[in-house]
Amino acid sequence: MNFDLTSEQQLLKDSVDRFVADNYSLEARVKVTDAEPGFSKDHWKSFAELGWLGLPFAEADGGFGGGPIETMLLMESFGRALVVEPYLASVVLGGGALRRGGSAALKAQILPGVIDGTKQLAFGYAEEQARFDLHDVVTSAKPDGDGFLLNGTKSVVQNAATADYVVASARTSGGQIDRNGISLFLIDVKAPGVERDNYPTVDGLRASEVKLTNVRVGKDRLIGELGKGFAILNAVANDAILALSAEAVGAMEVLYKDTVDYTQQRIQFGHPLSEFQVLQHRMVEMFMEYEQTKSLLYRATLEATQGAETAQRTIHALKHLVGRAGLFVGENAVQLHGGMGMTEELRIGHYFKRLLVIDAQFGNADHHLQQFAA
Amino acid sequence: MDIDLSPADLQFRDDVREFLKTNAYKPGADYTVWREQWFAKAAAKGGWDVPKWPKAFGGPGWTPTQHYIWEQETATAMLPFDMPFGVGMLAPILMGYGSKEQQDRFLPDIRARKVNWCQGYSEPGAGSDLASLKTKAELSADGTYYTVNGTKIWTTAAHIADWIFCLTRTSDTGKRQEGITFLLFPMKQPGIEVKPIITLGGNHTVNMVHINDVKVPVENRIGEEGEGWTYAKGLLQHERTGLAGVSRSIVALEKLKEQAAGVKRGNGSLLDDPAFRGKIATLEVDLMALEFTELRSLAAASAGGALGPESSIMKLKGTEIQQRIAKLTVEAGGVYSAGWGHPVGPKFARGGMASYLASRAYTIYGGASEVQKDVIAKNVLGIKSGNK
Repeated sequence: MNFDLTSEQQLLKDSVDRFVADNYSLEARVKVTDAEPGFSKDHWKSFAELGWLGLPFAEADGGFGGGPIETMLLMESFGRALVVEPYLASVVLGGGALRRGGSAALKAQILPGVIDGTKQLAFGYAEEQARFDLHDVVTSAKPDGDGFLLNGTKSVVQNAATADYVVASARTSGGQIDRNGISLFLIDVKAPGVERDNYPTVDGLRASEVKLTNVRVGKDRLIGELGKGFAILNAVANDAILALSAEAVGAMEVLYKDTVDYTQQRIQFGHPLSEFQVLQHRMVEMFMEYEQTKSLLYRATLEATQGAETAQRTIHALKHLVGRAGLFVGENAVQLHGGMGMTEELRIGHYFKRLLVIDAQFGNADHHLQQFAA
Repeated sequence: MDIDLSPADLQFRDDVREFLKTNAYKPGADYTVWREQWFAKAAAKGGWDVPKWPKAFGGPGWTPTQHYIWEQETATAMLPFDMPFGVGMLAPILMGYGSKEQQDRFLPDIRARKVNWCQGYSEPGAGSDLASLKTKAELSADGTYYTVNGTKIWTTAAHIADWIFCLTRTSDTGKRQEGITFLLFPMKQPGIEVKPIITLGGNHTVNMVHINDVKVPVENRIGEEGEGWTYAKGLLQHERTGLAGVSRSIVALEKLKEQAAGVKRGNGSLLDDPAFRGKIATLEVDLMALEFTELRSLAAASAGGALGPESSIMKLKGTEIQQRIAKLTVEAGGVYSAGWGHPVGPKFARGGMASYLASRAYTIYGGASEVQKDVIAKNVLGIKSGNK
């Protein structure tokens, strides 16, 4: 039983921490999210140069060969800094689908651009009728010559406005909620019939409704086997949950620590707020929830790395806890900052909003508790 | 003890329903036009425009039950909120402590909603500890006016207000609560600068107000110099019960149930989801209880004039419930709750996150929950304050 990082992992963590310390602040973030395209192209270039965009891909594909632990370290540091660059959407989600199911030819065609930062991906899995069920897919892919014709809408697709390709789940056979019959396709956003309705999300990031009307996709753009895409879809969702949870843990750390700092500075009734026992205990509770979530993050990440039988169930537990604990920490950070907690001026509000969006993606706390308990 | 509505109450309820059927705001209608017509018609009913005002000042003189019926029916009709500052906050202070001249000067325009007011209380250094406020009011040598300097914060609607009622400090000696003076002055003058504060939900409702050498005639001082805290304190208690919003929460919860029933899940809906249903049911139980706490509170107020101990929990519990409903709405919105209200996904989900974010302020303003609990422990439970 060992919780030490390898020296390579430590190097990775230190380099990410250093980069975000040098380049990230609330002011810088707001400037970037207020402008187009909503993230820093310079930072994205730096991510490529630092090798981070290749982190989870096989060395044979030009990547670093990193596993869940490497992604966890990077995402936790990103979460601490509230990074907005679309690492999750492009590398973990879209990239993850290609990594797990792309043919050699497709990987050779697409991955170099993803890794060198010249191309970006997005991942369309959600649909309006599906709520959080990955297997509920109405978007259809009907055979058309030796390719497919896709019709349907994918919802809240992060980074679709900037992406060059969207990986989307579509049904090639079976009933609406059958796990069998789901296929994954790589769709060129410039293909005829692809419409993107773009909008901001409350965390400063951007998403789109991606509407597909008779979009023709060649059979070489099928990811994984026909009708057997659910296993890849679910695996990518699990990768997403681990990554989002790491990001959330980073955010929770900032939230509780900022609160401890603030309450020691803010004086009311002749005392720093931190002297009031009720608030002390509340901050201890915030700290406890943070540590518990971090522990479950490690557990889930290690089980995923080792391919443990219990890995899926632990991931459900993790996403549940991230929602429950994350919101507890976020809500109380705002409460203990008083009126100031309600402003855009302090960074805690922005961290809180990121945690809220994390809970709304890939299944919220209640959804995963039900999966866990099933 | 009796909880049935008397025949008179039932008649009153029918009258109110009839009135609301013809006059409630219809979405899409011109709000300004509606507002003017509404207050005129309500006034013509004999004080329905100022239900909480004493009869002597034009109020309808309702019983607690009638007040409750009014609150329920206007909540069900989803009547737009009336800004509380003039009618609900300043007016009682004018009535209780203002001179006849001040009442005649200010009350008619407050009642007609012709003049917008804002509340100059909190300061950057005086939030929960309001009595530590520093905005200074210096009396001129000839004793005819005050010169006011300072900064107020979290001032709701200061950007559209015509006048401000302001707690200022006229003396530093003695306890902090002494030496506070209640002044009224116009907002639209050179010495006043209003800076917007954008809050988490992206809204502009509150502001920072910089007050620079503003001259206020002594005629605009309510009551005695140095007595302002007493006048304001009594009102804060009323603010607290008013902020519970029980009827509106009951209506909001019903709406949420309807909306959840529209979210298809398998052969049923989100309302069949055990976790979601459980949370709704728990909220319903809590609201059933709070509704009666409010009735007990109203009854005690009408009988003896003093608010009973149960009324102290109204704001605490009421705001907690409001927040839980807002959170449940976000949960019901699923993936779409990540957005600001872009027209995608189910209609009810749009703006749900913004509302939830705004609701985080409810347990902070009007007396933060933690402070409320201290006050209850001391004043209601009689626990001597010990270890902080």
